[in-house]
Amino acid sequence: MIARVAQRMSGWIGWVFFLDLLDGLSLTLSYMFSKTVTERYPDNEKWMPFPRYRGHHFLKSNAEGKTNCVACELCARICPCRCITVVPHEDEDGERHPSAFDIDLGRCLFCGLCEDACPADAIALGRHYEFCNYDNKALVVGRDALMTMPGKSVRGGEVVPARLSTEDGVTVPAVAGGEGADWWRNIRRR
Amino acid sequence: MESFLAIGLIVGKLAVVIAILLILPIPLTWIERKIAGHIQQRLGPMRVGWHGLLQPLADGIKLLFKEDHIPVEADRFLFTLAPIIALVPPFLVFVAIPIGDSITLFGTEITLYLADMNVGLLYILAVAGIEVYGVILAGWASNSKYAVLGSLRTCAQMISYEIPMGFSVIGVVMLAQSMSLLDIVESQAGLWNVVTQPLGFFVFFVSGLAEAQRIPFDLPEAEGDLGAGYHTEYSGMRFSFFMISEYLIVVFLSALMVLLFFGGWHGIAMIPLPPVVWFLLKLSFFIWMFMWLRFTFPRYRYDQLMSIGWKVLLPLSLANILISGVFML
Repeated sequence: MIARVAQRMSGWIGWVFFLDLLDGLSLTLSYMFSKTVTERYPDNEKWMPFPRYRGHHFLKSNAEGKTNCVACELCARICPCRCITVVPHEDEDGERHPSAFDIDLGRCLFCGLCEDACPADAIALGRHYEFCNYDNKALVVGRDALMTMPGKSVRGGEVVPARLSTEDGVTVPAVAGGEGADWWRNIRRR
Repeated sequence: MESFLAIGLIVGKLAVVIAILLILPIPLTWIERKIAGHIQQRLGPMRVGWHGLLQPLADGIKLLFKEDHIPVEADRFLFTLAPIIALVPPFLVFVAIPIGDSITLFGTEITLYLADMNVGLLYILAVAGIEVYGVILAGWASNSKYAVLGSLRTCAQMISYEIPMGFSVIGVVMLAQSMSLLDIVESQAGLWNVVTQPLGFFVFFVSGLAEAQRIPFDLPEAEGDLGAGYHTEYSGMRFSFFMISEYLIVVFLSALMVLLFFGGWHGIAMIPLPPVVWFLLKLSFFIWMFMWLRFTFPRYRYDQLMSIGWKVLLPLSLANILISGVFML
């Protein structure tokens, strides 16, 4: 009986003095002095994708600077959206190379099947992901452009310093896989 | 010549106070947004200037250039008058608020207050009460249902919370035997009032939150259910008048808390700092407190607001008067 009265009394006192609110205040206070999780993209930082990330395609080249591609057209065959067009061509050394290799990024679904199908280890999906465009036609990327595209990221999952370029729109200069802090480390889990 | 100098000094102090009060909301909005960001683990404004320091300036310029819209059905005279009525009382209040005793500069003694009234506290509470008229007129003149509902809520809230606020101060006045803020601060030279009047401080703090219309008592401008409450129809500079007055009320309530309960410019003897610095430190602590509360709590329901005002704070403040009276005997 007395215990129940005491319990009700303490509950009443807690209600009068807003004691339950102190709990919330202590929580927000601890949050106020904890690390922020904001990723300052594209002003100062940029998140590097993991090595398995499937971004913009690129064509690998051999030591002579020629593409690895042998224009077998297996990637064009396996592509579920029919977005790859390869025109084979035999050069003076008798080697088979593509004379045209067009990928329509507007149609591509970035499944990575072309990468799996390629027998010559020529096409792969790299780390580049900032290629939005106002023009549909500009999304069709040719052979020479594909050969200059950045490759797979090495470490990934990191935040690297980046810079906002005001001259050619909002673009972030490609950053080589440099040192960067692991962004996920700052996430506070309770 | 002597009186000429004295008048010049008063005018100079007046100009300084007005300038500071007009500029003060600019850093305060920045600080508030930064605190909001950090409580939510964000950074807050970062892009304009160093750590977004120039963001409030950009916002101010934006407000200046916005269309000053007056609804067709609105009462034009009251609509234009209301922001001014809301803005003037916070400025008037600072006439009576001292930020320090006096300092000696170039051989002349300069007092750090505009007027030492013997009814300073009464004056402050009375003038602060006028601010409600601005809010009520704004809601009425807008001819909008949300604005009217907001100002109705303001009306009820202000009336219910001004009573416990006034009562909670009586304990302090009893201890100091004076209503002059200078005397009240002097009476706390040994022991701060918050030690002897914890209940009074609690009631004053909660009703102060309600007077400033801050979360958790921001029903007059509840964004969720009322659009923006009494300033729904306001835009541009008129809207910013309301914002400035809101921030100044926060500053003035923090200053009043420091003066009445936390010993004004009396510091802790162990840490030697100039009295003005002590005052400003305490002031900024309470301003931070207001912002911290704002981003922690949800809003009270209307009936809860009323029951807190009448069933909790009013009895508590009366009990405080009774207890301090018994102790003084």
